[in-house]
Amino acid sequence: MIHERDHVALRPEQATIPPGHPWNRIPVIAGVCALLGAVACAILGAANPKQFFFSWLVSCLFFLSLALGALFFVLIQYAAQGGWGIVLRRIGETTFATLPVMAALFLPVLLGLHDLYSWTVPGAAEHDALLRWKAPYLNVPFFLIRAAVYFGSWSFIAILYYRGSCGQDVTGDPGVSARLRRLAGPAIIVLAVTQTFASIDWIMSLTPHWYSTIFGVYFFAGSFVGFIALLSVVMVAMRRAGLLDTVISAEHLHDIGKLLFGFMAFWAYIAFSQFFLMWYANLPEETIWYKARMEGSWMTVSLFLMAGHFVAPFFYLMGRRVKRKGATLAVGGAWLLAMHFVDLYWQVMPTLHPEGLRPSALDVAALVAVGGCFVAAASWLMRRQALVPLRDPRLAESVAFENV
Amino acid sequence: MPQTEAEQLDNPVAGHPTLILRSPDFHSITEVVAGPVERRTPIGWWLFFIPSVALLGLLGVAVSWLFWEGIGIWGLNVPVGWAWDITNFVFWVGIGHAGTLISAILFLFRQKWRTSINRSAEAMTIFAVMCAMIFPGIHIGRVWVAYWMFPLPNQMDMWPNFRSPLLWDVFAVSIYGTVSVLFFYVGLIPDLATIRDRAKTGTRKLVYGIFALGWRGSARQWQHYESAYLLLAALATPLVLSVHSIVSMDFAVSLLPGWHTTVFPPYFVAGAIFSGFAMVLTLMVICRKVFRFEHIITLRHFDYMAKIMLVTGSMVGYAYATEFFTAWYSGNPYELYAFLNRAVGPYAWAYWIMVTCNVISPQVFWFKKARTSIPILFVLSIVINIGMWFERFVIIVTSLHRDFLPSSWGYFSPTIWDVACLLGSFGLFFTMFCLFVRFLPMVATAEVKTVLPQADPHWQPGPEREIPKGQINARQVAAAPGDAGARSRWSFQMPLIPRLPKGPYYGILGEFATPADLYHACERVRDAGFTRWDAHSPFPVHGLSRAMGLRRSTLPWIVLVMGLMGAAVGFVLQWWVHASAYPLVISGKPYFAWPATVPITFEVAVLFGALGAVFGMLGLGQLPMHHHPLFRSKVFERVTDDAFFISIESWDPRFDPSATGKLLESLGARSVELLES
Repeated sequence: MIHERDHVALRPEQATIPPGHPWNRIPVIAGVCALLGAVACAILGAANPKQFFFSWLVSCLFFLSLALGALFFVLIQYAAQGGWGIVLRRIGETTFATLPVMAALFLPVLLGLHDLYSWTVPGAAEHDALLRWKAPYLNVPFFLIRAAVYFGSWSFIAILYYRGSCGQDVTGDPGVSARLRRLAGPAIIVLAVTQTFASIDWIMSLTPHWYSTIFGVYFFAGSFVGFIALLSVVMVAMRRAGLLDTVISAEHLHDIGKLLFGFMAFWAYIAFSQFFLMWYANLPEETIWYKARMEGSWMTVSLFLMAGHFVAPFFYLMGRRVKRKGATLAVGGAWLLAMHFVDLYWQVMPTLHPEGLRPSALDVAALVAVGGCFVAAASWLMRRQALVPLRDPRLAESVAFENV
Repeated sequence: MPQTEAEQLDNPVAGHPTLILRSPDFHSITEVVAGPVERRTPIGWWLFFIPSVALLGLLGVAVSWLFWEGIGIWGLNVPVGWAWDITNFVFWVGIGHAGTLISAILFLFRQKWRTSINRSAEAMTIFAVMCAMIFPGIHIGRVWVAYWMFPLPNQMDMWPNFRSPLLWDVFAVSIYGTVSVLFFYVGLIPDLATIRDRAKTGTRKLVYGIFALGWRGSARQWQHYESAYLLLAALATPLVLSVHSIVSMDFAVSLLPGWHTTVFPPYFVAGAIFSGFAMVLTLMVICRKVFRFEHIITLRHFDYMAKIMLVTGSMVGYAYATEFFTAWYSGNPYELYAFLNRAVGPYAWAYWIMVTCNVISPQVFWFKKARTSIPILFVLSIVINIGMWFERFVIIVTSLHRDFLPSSWGYFSPTIWDVACLLGSFGLFFTMFCLFVRFLPMVATAEVKTVLPQADPHWQPGPEREIPKGQINARQVAAAPGDAGARSRWSFQMPLIPRLPKGPYYGILGEFATPADLYHACERVRDAGFTRWDAHSPFPVHGLSRAMGLRRSTLPWIVLVMGLMGAAVGFVLQWWVHASAYPLVISGKPYFAWPATVPITFEVAVLFGALGAVFGMLGLGQLPMHHHPLFRSKVFERVTDDAFFISIESWDPRFDPSATGKLLESLGARSVELLES
């Protein structure tokens, strides 16, 4: 609605968490959870450090992937000059602004390299020609340098975009939008490359002999679905809590629902492509990865993943009404968020428990600890800033947006 | 000072970009788009058409000689059994992807700029798929047994192997061709009706009229039409991804180094979109010039297309890099050799042409100057297509020419007949495209009209806005209804109403000046309790079905049921052949291995769904209906051009000839007419 653009503007009180609102307490509650989780991790992990490191890695990857998905979401919106999603952008910005925190949370993983990655064990390459071949890439110093580069570049981009957008709330300078738009292209390239190698380093090298060229795309697909799922849950929760309920409309829910559906299908396409080509060609050096996941109780998890991450949500999210109603959309989002965790768990854990699915209390403890920090950081940031980019020049367009 | 076109693009925080320059009115768009179809053939057209037909003749000669002599006339050898034939196939299929991308994916992402180019991109898709389908047909040399590729019951009791990616190709490409034709045709229906209504000769009216199916732009038809279009887009999006994924599987399911790599499906899709956009750009630069469409296909369209090429070109570059890294990382010596051989072996020249054209050259598009310069765009679009042809050549030939045994290494050099087949396929493509631009409206007229500001039902001509020529200010009409009839091109005046013939009549037809008038009038007619009535417009007016109180189309359910049926048919067919009728162990898999059935099951589901969408749309919209009382009205001919109508049928219980006429008049109708049945 072009003619409404100059008139509709949100008042700041429509888009902030009012004092005394229950959401003001979330950082504290989440912080306490994180602390309890950390204590539990310390107690349980002391007895079983290997399990602790694997559980911690899965939880870290889970929340990290959500933040990276958020970064992609916002960068793509800038690059494509999308107008409809501006009211949702701050949720994405808050999510990726936790990336520096995630860097700190990743440190315990580095302490457990020997437990996690068999190729880091001294002497592992001695009788393994493949590991000797890969040593120029798979060696601990280079691994650490790369991790620093990944987190450094992600944090840099995250802070740049978060600061820029929040600064615009104060100054109202439309030049900020133009500048961030120009930077979005290069930032996406940096993100694509670092994310690909990060997924190779942290997930693929758990099985150091195995390789797959699509793996970076697979990680991206999962993280994007994860973030859209998170976004749909947060949107609905906000509306329920009386925040942004005048701003986020059924039209926005509908669009996020469509994105959720679309990228869920995209994930399935990528996941199936990887599986299918390896299954068909049946080369031992490739099938080892799937063999581990198609035996015993891991096969049950694989089937569950297929049904739960694709078949069931495909039919559930297909309809229009499901996507336009808060409650039903949030159920779909929460489900897919959980399935994203299962996906990562299924990628990582068979390395530790090749004999079958062995859920552990440490899985829960690590999830609570890392998730508590993630939620505390995000909700703390939410209190400090408006919940939408208040003075983005195209905010009104986004508020008034309607699905065709 | 008036801005130049390039300056108009420099809108720092683009709100709604102006897509169509010189703010034309609805009628002038019809004039411009229908012009090439109705005017005399321009000389420029013959300059393209005659060489194209000559090349098509060359294809005929080359293919005839091939059938006579066999595929030995090509440069094929052992070990290079696939070369230019399959390169050309993949190249053309890839080109065919941009059409559906523009039509479907950009539609789903609400990229309105697509409206100016989607028609020609869709046409291009169909012609590219036609070119592509030649090669699998002829590359075996024995065309007379080409029907063996199809799952037809036969006396030999022989079935195609559903586990072969080559058969998936047959399904994927032919279904893609079919769905593209359906998509193209559905998009054409309203525009064919436009040509029909403007026709000066009987033959024209008849021919275009037959294919227009009696379209009368009714809101009920538009509602199903829009639903069908959305559903087709939703079906075509995964379809377009699947087609090139399946083409990539021709290579990727094999064990050959350089072919078997998991990133192939998305990488091929990105490359296909990349080359398709380059081809659209090449064609649009020429058409825009020849037919003077500069204000409809603007620099902004080129700017966006260049950005998409930058994105997809970078994706292709990403895939090249990942493949190379993983070839090393895998530690597999064959894999690494295959890639090193590409970069420094006998075909290094082809490899570096590919990298230069596909990865390096599109980086120029980071700069707006390049994205908005027609010469740079034109040259780069051709460079990219050369690069993408070489990409397929490099993939196919470099992997084949180094077999596992050095004793079976070889080198492929094309013969004159390889070249003739490639050039000839371009002849087919350009001949078809020339015929298309001559005989069909090459811009989706109805869709372009929807992106004009005055197409918005809430648009009001403000003081700062110039009222487009030919449009009547809604306020003026409301102020002086008696005067309104005189403004329409044909005057069917209100005073006729009281002196009506007593005979049976169909109903009453009121003409409105703008979509906004129509929208508000519909709300009032709905509130007055009419049920047997309809609104008619040259394009779908946003939200009109709500203003009319129509229920949502039931088409999605039809498509869902048809899609599930298709999936069941595809799945059961494969199960029956492989597990029951013709059990055979293939590549060490069980008789029935479900993953291998996924491609064909999916393709058949999409085919059925698309057929359901199109025939469901026709059925629900009661088409074809070539005769209708409304067509007796002279003024109604403009319903496919720039006029908006409400028709109320006489068998509506609330219908009363004079009162209903007065109602329409009071709602701002600028002419009201009673129609005999």
